[in-house]
Amino acid sequence: MRTTRRFALRVNGADHLVEGEPQTPLLFFLRNDICLNGPKFGCGLGECGACTVQVDGIAARACALPVRLAESREIVTLEGLGDGDRPDPVQQAFIDAQAAQCGYCINGMIMTAKAFLTVNPAPSEAEVREALRYNLCRCGTHVEIVRAVMLAAERCRASETAEP
Amino acid sequence: MTNSTPPPSLSRQALLQRGGIIAVVAPRKGAPAGDASESALDLHVCLTAEGRVVAFCGHVDLGTGIRTALAQMVAEELDFPFDAVEMVLGDTADTPDQGATIASETIQVTSVAMRIGATQIRARLIALAAAALACAEDEISLRDGRLYRGEGTAPAIDLDTLLANERLLLPLAESAAFKPMDHHMLIGRSVARVDIPAKVDGSFVYVHDVRVPGMLHGRVVRPPYSGMDAGDFVGRSLVSVDRDSIAGIPGIRALVVEGDFIGIVAEREEQAAEAALALKAEWRSFTPPDLSDVAQALRAHPSTPRLLVDEGDVDAALGTLEKRLDRTYVWPYHMHGSIGPSCAVADVRADGITVWTGSQNPFPLQNDLALLTGLPREQIDIVRHEAAGCYGRNCADDVAADAVLLSRAVGAPVRVQLTREQEHLWEPKGAAQLIDIKGGLGSGGSLPAYDFHTWYPSNAAPTLALLLTGRIPNQPATLRMGDRTAIPSYNYENMRLTAYDMPPIVRASWLRGVSAMPNVFAHESYIDELAHEAGVDPVEFRLRHINDERAAELTRATAERADWQPHVGPRMEADGEILRGRGFAQARYVHGSWPGVGAAWAAWVADVAVNRTTGEVTVSRVTVGQDTGMIVNPAGVTHQIHGNVLQSTSRVLREEVSFSQTTAVAARDWGAYPVLTFPELPAIDVLLVDKQHEAPLGAGESASVPSAAAIVNAVYDATGVRFRELPLTPERVLAGLGQLPPAAPAAPQLPERPPRFGLWSKLGAAFAGATGFAAVSLAIAPAIAPITRPDPATWSAATIERGRQLAALGACAVCHTAKDGVPYAGGFPLETPFGTVMTTNITPDPETGIGNWSYPAFERAMRAGLHRDGRHLYPAFPYANYARTSEADLQALYAFLMSQPAVRQENQPSRMTFPFNLRPLMAGWNLLFRPQGELKPEPARSAEWNRGRYLVDGLGHCSACHTPRNALGAERSGSAYLTGGEAEGWEAPALTKASAGPIPWSEAELYAYLRTGSSQHHGAAAGPMAPVIAELKELPDADIRAMATYLASLSEPLPDAEVEARAGRIELATSAAANPATSPVARLYQGACAACHEPGRAAPLVNAGPALGLSSKLHAATPTNLVNMLLEGGQHGIGSMPSFATALDDRQIAELAGYLRARFAPGKPGWEGIDAAVARARKTTH
Repeated sequence: MRTTRRFALRVNGADHLVEGEPQTPLLFFLRNDICLNGPKFGCGLGECGACTVQVDGIAARACALPVRLAESREIVTLEGLGDGDRPDPVQQAFIDAQAAQCGYCINGMIMTAKAFLTVNPAPSEAEVREALRYNLCRCGTHVEIVRAVMLAAERCRASETAEP
Repeated sequence: MTNSTPPPSLSRQALLQRGGIIAVVAPRKGAPAGDASESALDLHVCLTAEGRVVAFCGHVDLGTGIRTALAQMVAEELDFPFDAVEMVLGDTADTPDQGATIASETIQVTSVAMRIGATQIRARLIALAAAALACAEDEISLRDGRLYRGEGTAPAIDLDTLLANERLLLPLAESAAFKPMDHHMLIGRSVARVDIPAKVDGSFVYVHDVRVPGMLHGRVVRPPYSGMDAGDFVGRSLVSVDRDSIAGIPGIRALVVEGDFIGIVAEREEQAAEAALALKAEWRSFTPPDLSDVAQALRAHPSTPRLLVDEGDVDAALGTLEKRLDRTYVWPYHMHGSIGPSCAVADVRADGITVWTGSQNPFPLQNDLALLTGLPREQIDIVRHEAAGCYGRNCADDVAADAVLLSRAVGAPVRVQLTREQEHLWEPKGAAQLIDIKGGLGSGGSLPAYDFHTWYPSNAAPTLALLLTGRIPNQPATLRMGDRTAIPSYNYENMRLTAYDMPPIVRASWLRGVSAMPNVFAHESYIDELAHEAGVDPVEFRLRHINDERAAELTRATAERADWQPHVGPRMEADGEILRGRGFAQARYVHGSWPGVGAAWAAWVADVAVNRTTGEVTVSRVTVGQDTGMIVNPAGVTHQIHGNVLQSTSRVLREEVSFSQTTAVAARDWGAYPVLTFPELPAIDVLLVDKQHEAPLGAGESASVPSAAAIVNAVYDATGVRFRELPLTPERVLAGLGQLPPAAPAAPQLPERPPRFGLWSKLGAAFAGATGFAAVSLAIAPAIAPITRPDPATWSAATIERGRQLAALGACAVCHTAKDGVPYAGGFPLETPFGTVMTTNITPDPETGIGNWSYPAFERAMRAGLHRDGRHLYPAFPYANYARTSEADLQALYAFLMSQPAVRQENQPSRMTFPFNLRPLMAGWNLLFRPQGELKPEPARSAEWNRGRYLVDGLGHCSACHTPRNALGAERSGSAYLTGGEAEGWEAPALTKASAGPIPWSEAELYAYLRTGSSQHHGAAAGPMAPVIAELKELPDADIRAMATYLASLSEPLPDAEVEARAGRIELATSAAANPATSPVARLYQGACAACHEPGRAAPLVNAGPALGLSSKLHAATPTNLVNMLLEGGQHGIGSMPSFATALDDRQIAELAGYLRARFAPGKPGWEGIDAAVARARKTTH
């Protein structure tokens, strides 16, 4: 049954009302209604990870997440992590490790890494690779991406120990 | 909607028209002779009085960081700071037409003009300063964008003073003396890429992110001849389009049909996407090519031999060989595999067209669009944005033309996004290749003869819309591009090289290392074979015969870096089941039209590990040396080499386009076309040879070229087996090792079950017989008089609310609402074994609904299955269950229904099979299976249990689906109760101890399932159960708990510890570690399913699906529910699993189902009838 209705989405700390059908993937609303560029359409099947966002702090594949499951939850996109003036440590690490070629997959890499590092703040390189197993990169930037995630983890740990 | 088009850089014309500039210009391609206006001039480099440097390049950045490297070169020659330089790449209105961005020639070839221009501006600036300061030019120096005189430390004159009144247009010189390398300040230094900061915070605007005011969304529907672009049927296969098939979808603005081109424009993207899936079109049939044996297909395809080289007398020399070696090498079709499917925005206006595109070829695209629209190319403005990496030619041009056709149809800007499936199917593939080499060893290890033949099937992949609309002929053309790096690096005394040019078999074009990668796979495998025959170390053997000093130098340097240990023959170093080996290969990539231009040299030492039990090959380390001439940005070159190593390793180990007998290309997702993932990364050691004094050669593709041979040579060293066909899948490797692959899951080839109608017609006959005598003597039930619709105010709000919950429990709306229809207004076709029952309108409309039904009429319907007028209702309406409901509850339900808005909607007739189409016979049915009355509590049980039973057996009518029915369609009684039935083409699993899942239902899991739709030990609700769960949300927690309590009493739950232990054992046995991906279907699972279903993910995922080893669907007796789930997904229900109906074809779904059963329910027998289940599910889901 066609049940178009409004959905209250909380994205990057701001409230948005969007209108659509409950099964429509969250990604369409983020990109077309809220005009965010971070999450990318890659496959629509949850296979590649280019669309990854965080929902309540957990990685989510927005291309395969019906909007009804994201309603009233805390959604964070790449834009919500930080910007050019105040990048998130993970974003800064990706800049410092030059971890992008075309960069289309990078949203997913950063968002997955960010969620992963909250679960495992001191990963081994093998654990980082495992965490990113289902995020596909076609340019072959894997080496730089792993380096960026390791760098981000190191810095986050260093800043935590530095804080009183 | 905001406008995400970035602010334009200073445009060519604006710069040329303003004062205060020095610009280097050239006549614009195609401009009328003698036209001296700005529009007739190309601008290469421009310096403004404010100190901005703008450089223009007709090539584009494909994500390799070329924008940064080009800016470095301009800043270097100009002696300006790097930050002062802005690059404009690929926009047709602004940049010079320098052709397509191919062959890694941007640095090597295209950059030259801007370097010359920068040199010219620098010289003129110094001349101007000298004149202004009345001194000699050699007294002036330019550093970091400032002009100094003599030893002065402060700038002697500023740019503004010098240029404010100038408008100097310098004609581009043919050549210039570039700065000597030892003066380089920027070239040769690693510079951070300018694009990355915006790419990591989402502010970068890819073509996918372009949003223009008033923009609509488009999708295309491609023909069934997937990935084929030549043949009589191309552009001529569409028979008809059923416009009504998308009539119910809101927001549709246009359906555009021209030839075989179909596009849909909608206000919202999801509307266009839905319509593209829903649109019904009829196509003529066609015969796909047989590509089951690529080598055979290439050999059989018509081709034209082209003799590239014929030195000496090869035929005579072949007769002198001491050891003759004739070899054949086979290269599969590959995909570019851009991570983002192509996208474009077009705005077709009266005065011209603007297209925002990620094209690799803006100028050729402009020509194509002129051909498509009939407009002069000057009126077509191509604005280039970065897109997902392309590595050759993907669908970027196709989608731009699609967007133009759609925008033209609606008179508004349209964004077209291809789907993943369309990109996979239609991208012009990297061509397969077949290479024969005849030759061998002469006396003393000499190389007397080399007879090399290479077959390459490709055209230039014409832009699809031109073909589909019939603008250009659909006859095959041939691209002569199979000759790249056809000349080997070794001194063969007599040599004949022949390229067999041929039209494409499937749509093909250039992909990174085009034809050179396959040719070098052959050259460098063959030389390795010769070394082995000669009994010489492979590196040493190469060095003896190599014909190029830079290649020799690189070979020595790379071997040394990798600590190459000379050896003869395969070493086969074993470490348990792992065999280790090391291989070498080198080549110089030669591109461009024959004989071509040499780009960078690259050499590989690859270390591999081969698992001799599973056949899996791991590339553990790659030492890669590159002589790329002058290096502009070392960090950029290193990164590009990493990319080449990883992408080519992926191609060599894993990649191969699969084909189907019905649609040509078969692979439509990352499951069917798997690429390298993070855990498989080799360690990479890059050696950049210092050649800063040489010309720059670019780094785009060269490092890919030796990959295949290096890896195959390493596998030979590890196993003693030589592979001459790729990819090195575990199956191929095991076969090569002379072993059988591990037992594959049973192929779903079992006979189909007898057609359902056969069985049911027999039952029908039985039914007719059983009731025949009774039918004549049965009285037709009397009608109950109609009433005026009661005033809803009759009932209290509390009663209506209670009724609302009961309606949810009964899931009335689930059946009494049509797809996209008004709740309770009926019209849903309920498939039953006896025909299709059309559900009726139960809104209080007096004429078409139940508005004139009194409570007694309603109650009689609920308890006895009789319409108000006395007709018998079909038992698809579960009145046998409803009969057990209490009077008070039925009253409340009546109150609720009567309080709903009345909707006038005529009921449609049901389509029952004989004899069920004879309604009076239903009376006989009732005689046979007379419903029981109101349920009486069992005093020995708890109140909660009794409440649960009341809900389950009454309005909840669980048994209507979950209890098997007898031949006459009545629920079986006794021990069959809730032991599994069927509903709308789904299996309704057993809810008792007969449950097929490996872990019995517990109260907690039943509660979780009924409350959330998902149980960790059983899986997620799907199919007809999903809307039931959605309705149950209305019920209070206590009722859900009561249902769980009652249902749990029908099972034999395990103790918690045993549950955990059993689940753990199952997860372990079904894990990826225990099930290496040694078949295509295993890799399909890995790519398509594992991201969400693999237990033990390193980090949690919101979309995670249940652990498949515990899922009831995998343990069920039939594949029905699994297949349905794969095709329908859970998006429409309570879950988030996407439908794989468009991503996987019937064969893939069937194979996947067979694999999943074998892997995740290893104790259960393989399923029969998977193919039939897929066919059935296809009919009902799409």
